[in-house]
Amino acid sequence: MEVTSVATVLVVMVGTAAGLLIARVRFPGIQLVEAILLLPLVLPPSVVGYYLLRFFGSGGPIDGLFGVNVVFTWVAAVFASAVVALPLMVQAARTAIRGVDPVLENAARTLGSSEAAVFFRITLPLARRGLIAGAVLSAARALGEFGATLMVAGNIPGRTQTLPLFLYDAVQNQQYGMANLIVALLTGFGLISFIIIGRLEPAHK
Amino acid sequence: MSERRLLVDVHRRLPSFTLNLRLEVGEEVMVLFGPSGSGKSMTLESIAGLVTPDRGEIALDGRVLFRRGHEGAHTNVPARKRGVGYVFQSYALFPHLTVLGNVRYPLGRDHGARDRALALITQMDLSQLADRYPHQLSGGQRQRVAIARALARDPEVLLLDEPFSALDPGLRERLRADLRVLQLTRRLIVICVTHNVEDAFALGDRLAVLRDGELEQVGTVAEVFRRPSSMSAARVLGISNIFHARVSSATADGVALDWEGLRLSAPAQPCSAGDLVPAYIAPEDVKLLYPDRPVRGSLVANQMHAVVQSIQHRKDVRIVRLVVDNGHELEARAPGYFYRDLDLRPGAPILITLRQEGLRIFREEELL
Repeated sequence: MEVTSVATVLVVMVGTAAGLLIARVRFPGIQLVEAILLLPLVLPPSVVGYYLLRFFGSGGPIDGLFGVNVVFTWVAAVFASAVVALPLMVQAARTAIRGVDPVLENAARTLGSSEAAVFFRITLPLARRGLIAGAVLSAARALGEFGATLMVAGNIPGRTQTLPLFLYDAVQNQQYGMANLIVALLTGFGLISFIIIGRLEPAHK
Repeated sequence: MSERRLLVDVHRRLPSFTLNLRLEVGEEVMVLFGPSGSGKSMTLESIAGLVTPDRGEIALDGRVLFRRGHEGAHTNVPARKRGVGYVFQSYALFPHLTVLGNVRYPLGRDHGARDRALALITQMDLSQLADRYPHQLSGGQRQRVAIARALARDPEVLLLDEPFSALDPGLRERLRADLRVLQLTRRLIVICVTHNVEDAFALGDRLAVLRDGELEQVGTVAEVFRRPSSMSAARVLGISNIFHARVSSATADGVALDWEGLRLSAPAQPCSAGDLVPAYIAPEDVKLLYPDRPVRGSLVANQMHAVVQSIQHRKDVRIVRLVVDNGHELEARAPGYFYRDLDLRPGAPILITLRQEGLRIFREEELL
């Protein structure tokens, strides 16, 4: 659960920034950046997990630069969930920010707003619904993350074991009562997410 | 206090067209007139700092807002520091803020911002609406909010992009008058983009005619409409009464024209005998004659017979469309109280004259 929360916060910040970049800035290679950000959506989770493993693991750039090895820790689980959930947030943010009329942003500029003020006082409030929807969806996706987490964080009970991993163990050990509980929990969360998103849908006019 | 002055000298090349314009505006309403795609909006955006010209200079009272040339230091003051108020075509009110929120927005979190915003709202006659959201307002109310918001930081320059295009005629008239009052009381430099002739007449001190990014003509509104400097300016202004005539003689005393069988005389203008030239007579210079009254002065020369085609009554002007002997159509405009005693019905024969001084020849050889 904490994994999901931290991952969601991370995803919302990175995803919104990336969405803003893709929606508003034009530079060569933007399509490649966008494609890379969306890639985890179509790759098998184990592939994403493998990338993360090489990136964070011993001999990887993070180990080399900072001498920190986060593999098979709580932090790795966060990164795994975040990377897998990020595409959903990026897409939601891009759509939401594209939906904000650039004329409004220009109006704010002529009224004395700095670029940061334009973003926080105009773009963000107007894209709010889409961003919240993206955040909810990302949270649901992060919560349900299985494959990539297993690869980089392992399945260490009490440390890196997330709900889906716990479910896997429960079924393996034929603890069906526990499994039913977790399944109900995850399904419920998913359902609630979509209901929230549906509620947000009617456009702010 | 010395008069405020805005110098605009902008050049910007785009794939579709090139903007090339130099304009000086004082404490007045300058109307930028032209068809869509002529560069009017881009000129405003350049002044506001929303687009960056390739080169040129924009200076307000000697303070350089933008300067970029082939050499020397570049200056490009960001939009937020230019002190230029901008009223967008769609008004661009912030939909998530109330009227008060919108007007207060540019004032930041300062002490007294709320009071200042409220004072402006009252001044713009919006006090009943301070807590409404933009979607709860009518077009005219939205426009007033947009103007109040643009004026909140006391700009010296107010730019308006098609401010009246979404409003009905009665309201237009009132808001034009309001804008004039604001211009005078706040000593604003106002630049207003429009492609509406009546807006131009009612609002403008001076008129700048744009076509394809180039300045065709600048002058007082009356002057530009009466004497368009070129045929393309005339066409941009939607002016009728342009025709082609052959120059039969051109001397220092005057020009004689042959307009498909009708002999016309015009004041001396550069052209040479034998040329086929575009000629123009302002609708105000097409005079209807009373058969029983003597004709004098500059009205003697270009008399001809015509048949009334249609009559249109506008608020204080009457437009009479006529067909002359050679089959061409002319338009005559006069105040409604003129020609009361004339029998003006469609089909009625009538004697008209083209005021000699008003007959102009355009230099360019463009085909109509």
